[in-house]
Amino acid sequence: MTKGKLDPHQPDQKGASISLKGTFIAVMLLGVFILVSWFALYALFLSR
Amino acid sequence: MIANNRLLFPKKEARLYMAFMYVTFISLFVGGLMGLLQTLVRSGKYTLPFNIDYYTILTVHGVILGLVLTTYFIIGFQFSLMGKTVGISDKQLKVAWLSFWVMIVGTIMTAVTILVGEASVLYTFYAPLRAHPAFYIGLALVIIGSWIAAFVNFRQLYVWKKAHKGQKSPLLAFMVTINMLMWFIASLGVASSVLIQFIPWSLGYAETINVLMSRTLFWYFGHPLVYFWLLPAYMAWYALIPRIIGGKLFSDSLARMSFILLLMFSIPVGFHHQLTEPGINPTWKFIQVVLTFMVVIPTLMTAFSIFATFETTGRKKGYTSLFGWFKKLPWKDVRFLAPFIGMVAFIPGGAGGIVNASHQMNALIHNTIWVTGHFHLTAATTVILTFFGIAYWLVPHLTGRRLTPKLNKLGIIQTFIWTIGMTIMSGAMHIQGLLGGPRRSNFSSYAGGEQVETWVHYQLAQAIGGSILFIAILLMVYLFIQLAFFAPRGVEEYPIAEEEADAEPTPKILENWYLWVGITIALILFAYTIPVFDILKHSPPGSAPFDWPIGR
Repeated sequence: MTKGKLDPHQPDQKGASISLKGTFIAVMLLGVFILVSWFALYALFLSR
Repeated sequence: MIANNRLLFPKKEARLYMAFMYVTFISLFVGGLMGLLQTLVRSGKYTLPFNIDYYTILTVHGVILGLVLTTYFIIGFQFSLMGKTVGISDKQLKVAWLSFWVMIVGTIMTAVTILVGEASVLYTFYAPLRAHPAFYIGLALVIIGSWIAAFVNFRQLYVWKKAHKGQKSPLLAFMVTINMLMWFIASLGVASSVLIQFIPWSLGYAETINVLMSRTLFWYFGHPLVYFWLLPAYMAWYALIPRIIGGKLFSDSLARMSFILLLMFSIPVGFHHQLTEPGINPTWKFIQVVLTFMVVIPTLMTAFSIFATFETTGRKKGYTSLFGWFKKLPWKDVRFLAPFIGMVAFIPGGAGGIVNASHQMNALIHNTIWVTGHFHLTAATTVILTFFGIAYWLVPHLTGRRLTPKLNKLGIIQTFIWTIGMTIMSGAMHIQGLLGGPRRSNFSSYAGGEQVETWVHYQLAQAIGGSILFIAILLMVYLFIQLAFFAPRGVEEYPIAEEEADAEPTPKILENWYLWVGITIALILFAYTIPVFDILKHSPPGSAPFDWPIGR
């Protein structure tokens, strides 16, 4: 986890300019978790 | 809106909302105790005293926690949301009390019937197990009471809309209406099954019952039931948590669209609970599985919205690094922490749900205790921890008291105890399920079967997890009593988030009820008409009632 930095001089960012990179990465990781768990159990199904 | 957040309800309103909360927390204690006893019995190291039947306590646990606790909390919480956002008239308040009392009469009838051993049929009450007619009549009254509540909510929004022509409805009132619409449409299935099939059959007026039809009508209701539990948690995640973390609503339109999709895709999906049912054509099972998977879309929309709310709020406070905003969330505020852990639990919970609904893989876990582990993650962690998170501010807001730093700290401890207990219990259930351990059944060594040896230790782990959970339940009941009667007087905020000042306007089509309800009904007719006619036409002869091995 990257350490958060507080910049008191930075003005409030307006909606359109706010970066959602962290959100993008988090949602992608969520998708990967779902796929990995599904395929793991699919492998178990095939092995039986 | 912010000023309104600190404005307490008039006493007569608060009394109604609190009435639902009292039943909720009494249910938590009773149902939780039964859960503890179950895990102890299934460990093989404990026998119930006084000849109490295992299936009686199993039925009490399922009915009291799955049906009573959830329904009372949801209806009480939703009434408060409607009262806060669109208001309630004196006449509506009277009808709302009627809904409460009808539900109470039904709950008492059902509970007494189960407790005297006349309805050990589990909360799914599958035919041909037969319970005493009072069990079914009580359940019907609970549903009818909830319908009265639904129609009061519809009326509240209608009156507000008439007085505010051209304005969009408050987001939370819109969400409550969606949830109650879904509940009403879905519970028509189980209500018709209870009224037309179960009551005449249990009274002896009908000799046999169409088992497949009764199970189909149950699951037509049973899956949306889990969304009925989940949507109030989503309401908190979308529209209340942003305020608690010091942010704004991420997107009003996205939240409404996600609720509309959940309304459409929650109901025509019941067959994924009946994938091993022999009497249903596989094509229709496939169609309903595809419709089930559509629910992934609004679920991921919700996940995106939550992360985006966190990130936007953090960045506005000046945190610039990739995940710095995450570290600075209010971790020491139980109003945030409890629902947050609920959100985290929904990641494995949701992934497990996708496995359950995948036709072939369902064979791996069907009727195993994996399924129990699954809904203890989704319902008993995601939903319940969010409900607890709501109760920490809702109860003191209703009683004119405050969540003190000490109670907040106890709440955090409660959340951790719950999380540890549930991780152990639900984790052990998942693993035991994959090893073939059955759900529902009393402890048995199955005549020394080899497979049993592989799972018996997990049953012990469940008893340990269940015991830890019971400690968490005792602490939660203590916290509720403190917040309701003893915490210092004051004003606890009702945290409704505001929209951004420069938010995009919400498209009017999102409030076109005719369109969304029309599509919902069309999807239900598409998914159910032909298979239901098939069932009616080709079912084997109906079944006479069975009172043994469990039942009455």
